Amino acid sequence: MMERIAQAKKLGRSFGRQDALRSIDFELRSGEILALVGSNGSGKTTLLKILAGLLRPSWGSVQVFGLDPFRQRARVMAQARFAFAPPPLYDNLTAREHLLMLGGISSNGSPRPCKQDVDRALATVGLSARADDRSSTYSFGMRQRLALAQALVPLPRLLVLDEPTDGLDPLAVLELRAVLERLRSEHQVTVLLSSHLLIEVESLVDRMLVLEQGRVLFDGAPAELRSGKSVLSLRVDDPVRALQALAQRGLSPTAAADGTLELPSGSANLIETCRLLGAEGLELLEFHQRTPTLERALLQRIREARRDTGIPPSNRGADRLDNPPAKES
Amino acid sequence: MLARFEIVKLSRSKRPLLAAFSLALFLALMLFGFYTYAQKETGGQAEFRYTLENRSYFNGLTFSLYAFYFGFVLILPIFAATEAGAQMAGETHSRTLQLLLARPLSRGRLFVTKVAVAAAYLAALVAAFLGVTLVVGLLAVGWGDLDLYPGVLQMTEQHQFLPQSEALQRFALAWPAATLGLFATLSLGFLLSTWIRSPVNAVGLAVSVYLVLYVISQIHFFQDLRPLLFTSHLTYWRGLFQETVPWSGILPDAAKLAAFSALFLGLAFRRFRTREEL
Repeated sequence: MMERIAQAKKLGRSFGRQDALRSIDFELRSGEILALVGSNGSGKTTLLKILAGLLRPSWGSVQVFGLDPFRQRARVMAQARFAFAPPPLYDNLTAREHLLMLGGISSNGSPRPCKQDVDRALATVGLSARADDRSSTYSFGMRQRLALAQALVPLPRLLVLDEPTDGLDPLAVLELRAVLERLRSEHQVTVLLSSHLLIEVESLVDRMLVLEQGRVLFDGAPAELRSGKSVLSLRVDDPVRALQALAQRGLSPTAAADGTLELPSGSANLIETCRLLGAEGLELLEFHQRTPTLERALLQRIREARRDTGIPPSNRGADRLDNPPAKES
Repeated sequence: MLARFEIVKLSRSKRPLLAAFSLALFLALMLFGFYTYAQKETGGQAEFRYTLENRSYFNGLTFSLYAFYFGFVLILPIFAATEAGAQMAGETHSRTLQLLLARPLSRGRLFVTKVAVAAAYLAALVAAFLGVTLVVGLLAVGWGDLDLYPGVLQMTEQHQFLPQSEALQRFALAWPAATLGLFATLSLGFLLSTWIRSPVNAVGLAVSVYLVLYVISQIHFFQDLRPLLFTSHLTYWRGLFQETVPWSGILPDAAKLAAFSALFLGLAFRRFRTREEL
């Protein structure tokens, strides 16, 4: 059975009268790669800071390696490493100095990281060529790489990365994926990362914990989020009459912007729908089974959650996720 | 390793260079002040340069003592407050403190190391300033024995005379004594910068509090408050330049400054140990 690395029960945190986290339950098991996903203000950073022992929970409990991260932070950090975003770095130090110094104060009795360890970490994130330049001369993407590199010296059991794909080019994201896979397979490192870029997360992680307004909206594999969200897309010669006809039969068709009609997958049998349209003198010209992208599926969940909780549709971070391209299959 | 890390960060920052430049500029201004005073204000009774032929009031040791005194009261506290602000509020503001807290370090170890490195830097700064004032005094004014008269600086209430070699020993004693005085200001800076997360505001407030308390401690009207203010004891090291050192007055002042420092640092650590990093 996989060891429990971190666990939160009814975890909440408020700032004044504002609840950043309401009642979070989650577990992280060894060897997992878990993504913490959510729009701005959803509570991701607050949760990471609580796990890092930088903030206290207002209610509920949290444990990392069975320890209270705020009160026993130093013991937690002996096995965990965090890379915060945007990367906090010392501008007057080089990448190599960052790794040597920070690695040196992390050895905690064990041998200090040697030059080879540092060189290996720098090579892993593709910073070898600029290892002796001061970090003030780095681009944002390079600072992200350095933040990851410093978290790899010495290798932790738990690696927590805050928005690790921000500022990385597509090739670097692919490399990051390979690095995380290698860390898991070769060193059994458990990874928790936060992101709002779902396309990248989908290919990186085993499981997603989606936060919305401080609550867990979804906890499961990315594929599970999509399931049940596919639609049957129909193109007919008279969409207005078809819409009325399908609605009269108790179905829930919606009209898309391009004039097609969409029915939730599973709500209607294609053959029966064809027959029904034929009986009304309508002709079915085209049909597709449309599987939504992860973003669209998540956005739909967020909208449903907001509709259920009555949150007004203005000034919301999740709107950045609007209008992602649909994927057809 | 943590101490080495803190020293590397300090040496790479612009703070030591800025301090050196400011103190050099201050010394140049002091030299100019002495020169113009001797030339224009004493009616020929004092000459700028001390010579064996003309044993005038001013000489290199007098210059060094006065320059060090003014530097101690006016300039060095700013660097003490700045160092404390950079160590704590600066790292909080730039979030690099999170980088350190994400390592297996207790807050106690982190705090003590930062205070120790800042204190060592302060001691080095005081030593360097004292050394440079003596060298500048020797080169620009010339050395002789140290003659002190009662005056506006309140160095002494009656004429004091110290032979040159004795005076230099007193300067050597003044170094740790003055460092202890500045350490109290440094401690105040640490206390304020654990509460205020903006380094500019933390340093500004520490300097302001220091100046206000210093002025209050110098005003006769507030004499009843003096024992409660650390600034009342800061210049206790002036007693070292009397012919007979009044240890019975110096040691209690030193003990009070140490107690104020311990109080400030204790409160600072209490805050740092329990505070959250937003």
